[in-house]
Amino acid sequence: MDKFILSVVHRPELMPEYINTDAQAGKTEELGGTEVVGESLDIFRLQQDIAHANGIKCTIQMTYASLYNDEAIQLAKDYHEKYGDEIAHTFLGVQCDRFRETYGSKELAMWLFPWDLKVRVVRDSFERFKEVFGFYPTSTGSYFMDAELINFIKAEYPMVKTAVAACFEEGPKVFRHTNNTWYTLLDGGPWTAWVPSKACSHAIAENADDDSGIVAVPHLSRDLLGVMDNPGDMFGTHPQNIIRGLAYEDDRLPFMYNLVDQYQAIKRYNKGYSYNLVYVGPGWMGKAGRWECPYRILKKSYEDFMAYYGQLKRQGKVTDMTMTEFADWYRANKAVNEPICALWKDTIFGTKNQCFWYADSKFRIQIDLKLGGAITDIRPYASKLKRPCGAGTSANQDASYPFIVQSRYRGGPFTHYAGEGAIKSAKLRFGGEEVDLSACRSTGRYEEGPGWRKLIVRPVTVEFQHLKVQVETSYTFHENQGTIDIGRKIVGLSDPSAKVEVDEFITACWGTREYPEDLTGCTLAVIDRNGTRNAIDYAYRCREHAAADAAAVEAVIPMVQTRIRMTPKSGPCKGYYEEGYSFAPNLKIGLCRELGLDEELVTVFAIERAN
Amino acid sequence: MAQGKTGKINYRCPMCLFRTIDYDLLYDRDADQFYCRRCNWEGNEMAILSLYRVYKQQYPDMLKRWTVEEILAKNEEADTPGTPAGKGPS
Ligand SMILES: [Zn+2]
Repeated sequence: MDKFILSVVHRPELMPEYINTDAQAGKTEELGGTEVVGESLDIFRLQQDIAHANGIKCTIQMTYASLYNDEAIQLAKDYHEKYGDEIAHTFLGVQCDRFRETYGSKELAMWLFPWDLKVRVVRDSFERFKEVFGFYPTSTGSYFMDAELINFIKAEYPMVKTAVAACFEEGPKVFRHTNNTWYTLLDGGPWTAWVPSKACSHAIAENADDDSGIVAVPHLSRDLLGVMDNPGDMFGTHPQNIIRGLAYEDDRLPFMYNLVDQYQAIKRYNKGYSYNLVYVGPGWMGKAGRWECPYRILKKSYEDFMAYYGQLKRQGKVTDMTMTEFADWYRANKAVNEPICALWKDTIFGTKNQCFWYADSKFRIQIDLKLGGAITDIRPYASKLKRPCGAGTSANQDASYPFIVQSRYRGGPFTHYAGEGAIKSAKLRFGGEEVDLSACRSTGRYEEGPGWRKLIVRPVTVEFQHLKVQVETSYTFHENQGTIDIGRKIVGLSDPSAKVEVDEFITACWGTREYPEDLTGCTLAVIDRNGTRNAIDYAYRCREHAAADAAAVEAVIPMVQTRIRMTPKSGPCKGYYEEGYSFAPNLKIGLCRELGLDEELVTVFAIERAN
Repeated sequence: MAQGKTGKINYRCPMCLFRTIDYDLLYDRDADQFYCRRCNWEGNEMAILSLYRVYKQQYPDMLKRWTVEEILAKNEEADTPGTPAGKGPS
């Protein structure tokens, strides 16, 4: 397969979020209410014209407000007629006088409404859509849709095939970026199209029984390295987001082309397939400019962006599809639990940095190659956590899928003073010295075979006072099995007769953000070769236990219904757990073995649902 | 002292940008000065623009164009024939 697919989405909005904010913030001299409506539809027309001029088909997502605006309705019909654009639906852009009168709310975020309002808004807007266009929409969307909302829509309107169901890695970082006022707390989902689980929309479905019935797409396609330590809202297929990040000079934004090209490059890791979604809200192209950037550049950046896709289309390198066309294509070509994978390279920070992302129905894993290939983020999809969000739920605004490792929110390889941060890495010991492989920068290469994907971390050199050791790390992901074989092989020794100890460990925790969560009730266990189990309930008492010949070490984090287990693939290992304490709130388990030249420790790391 | 208003150009606070917070500055006409309501930064337009320039230094490749082929080839030098196996970056 060789398929790079593009969906461009526009929405006719009558009061775009950002124009609205600007107007309230004192630009009313320039932007009156009626002018805002007029300008907004003009922007929609402009976006449509730019895409069509470059031969790109669009998906028009009708907002609640636009379903009551004759001009917007007529525009959608005309574009559909002339260009084959899909007339679709969105839960964005609900706010207008009619909405406030009908529902009595200023809430703008569909996923945050109380349940009874969600139900009413779905029914009212879908029925209004039918009344206006004579058919029900087959695609919809919001910044986020939880499984409960998707399941309800599918039950009432089974013709819906696809939805913009999340914004990749919009969470605490984006929240902070917006002065703690943009409530898209949605970390933890896939970065490209997936079939969501019936239980939890972030998680990729297990199988046909677990299929929610839609193909979900993220709101934008983002830079997978840029999002790790930066808000994603500066690093996506959205020219004005790149401008927001100041990654441009005059009207030149080469990064936006690099991003598209990197999405083409990652076809290599996805059986020849890759996908881009472009969805620029009209508020980003207002006449008054956006922050320090004038309208001229906002407009030109969109023209340049669409022109590039247009060029790729003429060269046969991209296929433009409406959202529904894409959903049909995805269903015909991809499995319900299709793994997604990317070895991503830096094109902007001027480094050799790389990261590797893998996700399937059991977990989403992020590996940071500059940390010697340590795992820096784990989302345990195997537990298929039910996490309804919105008013009246316990999660409320916090719609993220919880992590069990997040090295930036929870310390990672570097802590101030004491304890250890959350990370999955390995330590080497020799002659009383200890080095964490996360101190050794590297890069990766990719291999795949039937049912498995593999990341090989290029060997790094650990320098002890009297010994140099070269170690090669590898991760073999068994697709949808919930296991990773992690290899640490000694490929070089300055003294070929020397032995070094390898300590394969994980320091885990749970949560959705920076603050520690309570670990009371978690369990840690070492099971030795005779089946004897030494286990404790977590109580911040810094207890430790080790067995010389361990069959497995494991930890259960009941708050996220997750069990993690490490077992030696073959041969004996010392196994241990370390409880941690309040200033070091983590659960640590590990397996150790002495290795000589050309010897390898392979451990099987499993992530399972714990009931 | 006069009320601060959004300036003709709606600049974001450069110091807040450095810690990845988008915060609009206000403009004090009497003092001909922009100021931040979150942190303690204040200054004129020239100071804003020069700090934006510093901000952009985090992107050494900001104006570099990488093609698909260049992206795929990037950092793969270690695997090219003739390079000793297992050398890699250190
Ligand atoms: Zn400030």
